[in-house]
Amino acid sequence: MATLVRVDDLRKEFGKVRALAGVSFNVEAGEWIAIMGPSGSGKTTLINILGGLDTPTSGQAIVDEVDVARLDESGLTRFRAQKIGFIFQQFHLVPYLTAVENVMLAQYFHSATDEKEAQLALERVGLADRIEHLPGALSGGEQQRVAVARALINHPKLILADEPTGNLDEANEETVIQLFRELHSEGHTILMVTHDPAIGNLADRRIEFAHGRLVKVTPSNDASRNAYR
Amino acid sequence: MFWRLLWKLLRGSGGRLAVAILALVSCAMVVSALLNLEFDIERKLTQEFRTLGANLLISPRNAQITGSSPAEVMIESEVSAAIQSVKDPNVMAAAPFLYVVGSAQNTAVVIAGTHLEELPKLEPAWRIEGEWKSSQAQQTACLVGRNVAQQLKLAVGSSVSLTYLKKNAQLKVAGIIDAGGAEDNQVFLELAEAQDLAGLPGQISFAQLSVSGTTTGISHYAARLAAALPAYEVKPIRQITEAEGDLLSRIRLLIVSMIVLISALTALCVLGTMAALAMERRQDVGLMKALGGSIGRIVTLFMAEVGVLGAAGGFIGAILGLELSRWMGQRVFGQAISSRWEIFPWTIILTVAIALAGALPLRLLGKVKPAIIFREQ
Repeated sequence: MATLVRVDDLRKEFGKVRALAGVSFNVEAGEWIAIMGPSGSGKTTLINILGGLDTPTSGQAIVDEVDVARLDESGLTRFRAQKIGFIFQQFHLVPYLTAVENVMLAQYFHSATDEKEAQLALERVGLADRIEHLPGALSGGEQQRVAVARALINHPKLILADEPTGNLDEANEETVIQLFRELHSEGHTILMVTHDPAIGNLADRRIEFAHGRLVKVTPSNDASRNAYR
Repeated sequence: MFWRLLWKLLRGSGGRLAVAILALVSCAMVVSALLNLEFDIERKLTQEFRTLGANLLISPRNAQITGSSPAEVMIESEVSAAIQSVKDPNVMAAAPFLYVVGSAQNTAVVIAGTHLEELPKLEPAWRIEGEWKSSQAQQTACLVGRNVAQQLKLAVGSSVSLTYLKKNAQLKVAGIIDAGGAEDNQVFLELAEAQDLAGLPGQISFAQLSVSGTTTGISHYAARLAAALPAYEVKPIRQITEAEGDLLSRIRLLIVSMIVLISALTALCVLGTMAALAMERRQDVGLMKALGGSIGRIVTLFMAEVGVLGAAGGFIGAILGLELSRWMGQRVFGQAISSRWEIFPWTIILTVAIALAGALPLRLLGKVKPAIIFREQ
């Protein structure tokens, strides 16, 4: 497998606070990586840098042969539109747009909108009957599935998910995790921040952070994957 | 998708945007009314100014009255021919005058010969008891000034005997004039009758014209007339034309100042609303940026939203403004101001510009950092 993400001695400081203190690792294309660790360990900062939402203080973060650290504002914008699919804990749907319009919003900023394709993406995540609903009329799980459909609509190279099940109840969590399993089996590359060890065990590898440093990389096995409910 | 997004943005922020659109409609309404007034004010005011009387004088050079007859006179036919040849639609009235000092029933009076039917047009502010002589057939009718009528105890229908040197004319009083000036001491009769009485056939002392228009326009007309009458002096009555021009300029300045002031106040109102809206939309903008939305594209979307608000506000306000200007015209001038539809697009353009100027805070959304927005949550 080809290396899709290469992180080399990545550092990020917010004033005197060191969020990332020299992190290095690689992610192969098609891998599902779980990033774990306590709050404030630098997980979200790493996701933000890899997704082009933030820039590192030093080091390299190369995604699909693009060094994110070297991109200017417009370069980062193009990078986010073309290579990254974000899924957030808070869903982050636009409240006055319907489910299908939220998906089309990502198409709009990527290239051209295709409502039919957006509808198919929602059907794929089990929301065929919720296409014209506003986010306020959807459950948390349904909103997160809209966010998954939105993340996938532009066929991104890398899916970055920051605690995607953190705000969901057990039933909705299972639905969303099942979606991630399907995405993984289809060959998508996923970096997922999670606090839940059971979800972390579903990934190919678990990368654990503490105080801005990578402290442990653990490959999963079938036994650990089967342990998830 | 752009228009779909725009529509959803407008619907999604209806309550807050209602404040902005209300301000824009009010602004457009007043601006449209004032612009309509500004375009029509010259015509209306010059019409009003004409009630002040004649504003152009044709006289012999160094004209003065010595003794009881004018020292220099002009040839009536030359003056009439010149006025006829230098045609101008702004000439509201023109009348020749021959003045002599004669007597009425042994009392000295100023006798003024003129075309009596021109007097109501030349001096609309004069009040009359009785009637203006309107027919050339009434050769022997005359109009007497209020003071003359009191002194000689004349009433409408009375007979009056005018004497100049050794000639005498018997006239019937058709009306008594209240001019509020020197004219109250004069007796007005038909020019031919006065010329016959004075023994000056075909001759006049001077001619007065009432010309509407700006000071410059009146001066241009005077210059053309002067070229046609090189032997005589043609000049605007400066006090009147300058006062008219000055008043017109002041009113125009007032209108322009009000438009600028109202525009600035509206822009401030929109500015306040948009600043609040920009704060509300930081999360949406953070998300749009995270999804790959460029600053230009996102700000364009929000500015288009404001532009639509400005256009809608301008459209509604312009229509209401035309109605307002009609009402103002009715109240101020006693007749509705005619609607000028060319103001319509200008009002809309101005309102859109004001809305966009007021939407400057939305440009700050370009500085929103998605990572910071998400971290705040």
